[in-house]
Amino acid sequence: MEIFTGEAAGAGPPKTKEDEQVAEDIRYGMVIDVRRCIGCQSCSVACKAEMSVPLEVFATWVKIVERGQYPDAQRFFLPRLCNNCENAICARNCPTKASYKRDDGVVMVDEHRCIGCKYCIASCPYDVRYINPFKNIVQKCYWCYHRLDAGLVPACVETCPTRAMIFGDLNDPKSEVSRVLATNATQVIKKDMQTEPHVFYIGADEAAMSNYEEEINYFTEPLFFPKIRL
Amino acid sequence: MEQPDINVVYTVKHQLPLIMFIGQYFFYTGLSAGSFVISVIATLLGRKEFKPIGKITAILAPILLIIAPLNLIADLEQPLRFWHLMLYYNWTSPITYGSFLLTAYPIVGIIYAIMVYTDRQGPAKVLGILGIPLAISVHGYTGFILALAKARSLWNTAAMPTIFIVSAMVSGIGLVVIIAAIRYKWFDKKATPETREQDKKLILQLAQFMAYTIMLDLFLIVSDILVLLTAHTDALEAGMLILTGNFSFLFVGVEIILGALIPMILVLGPTRKSLTAAVVASILVNIGVYAMRFVMVIGGQTIPLS
Repeated sequence: MEIFTGEAAGAGPPKTKEDEQVAEDIRYGMVIDVRRCIGCQSCSVACKAEMSVPLEVFATWVKIVERGQYPDAQRFFLPRLCNNCENAICARNCPTKASYKRDDGVVMVDEHRCIGCKYCIASCPYDVRYINPFKNIVQKCYWCYHRLDAGLVPACVETCPTRAMIFGDLNDPKSEVSRVLATNATQVIKKDMQTEPHVFYIGADEAAMSNYEEEINYFTEPLFFPKIRL
Repeated sequence: MEQPDINVVYTVKHQLPLIMFIGQYFFYTGLSAGSFVISVIATLLGRKEFKPIGKITAILAPILLIIAPLNLIADLEQPLRFWHLMLYYNWTSPITYGSFLLTAYPIVGIIYAIMVYTDRQGPAKVLGILGIPLAISVHGYTGFILALAKARSLWNTAAMPTIFIVSAMVSGIGLVVIIAAIRYKWFDKKATPETREQDKKLILQLAQFMAYTIMLDLFLIVSDILVLLTAHTDALEAGMLILTGNFSFLFVGVEIILGALIPMILVLGPTRKSLTAAVVASILVNIGVYAMRFVMVIGGQTIPLS
């Protein structure tokens, strides 16, 4: 029951100096057991509600890939969200340090500092950043940092009906996430990008983790003038 | 081994991050850097017949470089926050190098232009030598912007900054040829027939120099494509996209054939003594380089990431 008591997420906001030291040692991570995922998109909905993600953009979603042809066909799911990488290319390439990494490993975007140059979106190998059409800045999944600070787990983890998502401190060997990581074969998306993602998958399909889609046809989009948002 | 039937049922695509404002910015800085280098070469050689070219290019470089960052600011989602680039710099980001280079280079360029126009040879030469590394890096860093966004396999090659610098030279010389030809045709009435002959010779020489830089550009493009086609899966996909995919017309047709091979034949072939051929070649070259920016910026982002 530790998911619901929030034990897995750490000790809440630091109060004393010793607590601060503890907070610096925390490194949050997530394991997604894809074998348990039923593709219900509850995480997408919970994320939208919790973080007020506008229409047309998503911080979390479940990618669905079909393999084979009837009757030998199967659907595979891949919950997608920001990997909050250890070596985040977005934070390295951000010209204003609006994208930065918190001490506990969550990659953040400072709303008041972001100028919307979109270079982080171009740099991210996982395509998880989006432009908030109301605030005109770049946003992403922050692993619900306000909930982490309150000692809770992210909204998607809380919502997942099959408990496919496990969240916690990677540095604490006793946390559920560390125990699951230690005893299972796990994968990360695009290991060759040297980003050291903090979202690990158990039993993810190779096709879902690669880009099997067709090329995106951008010729239909306004290429010479920006989208005008009101 | 053939892949089994794979059908992506649902995934989320986010909007195109970099649009052609970025490509146009690359185009303008390229023109500026190219014309500045030509101007400094003319100043350093110090020959009297180079002076008109040196003056035209000295004024072109800062003007183009004032237009260029306007594209960048217009592209921002929060244009009024552009000053954050200076205040909250991040030394690991190529855009930060750019924001400082884009400040330093026009200052040097404007003082250099004043020196050239007031005919002070000494300071002009010193500023020119100082300005060339700035001009090259102000365009070279744009190659790093693409190369360091490592998610996109079309961009992530070490050849990218060099390709950008060489294509900048090509388009810059092309622009200088066009403007020098306009001056020769309409704004050079007082000149004697001898100086006119000299001017024409000079324009044709510049056009030939342009043809040689096109050769270097083609060599770099061919080596880039060869490595893309033999490297990892994503790189192969990027190579096939520009060779046979959606961007093949723009890349092979406009960039390589119309923008490089035809100008080279016009300038070095049987029409090499003709001023019209040189001007047509220069216009084609600039169309080709613009197409190259389009293919790089938009084409690089067409390949889905995951």
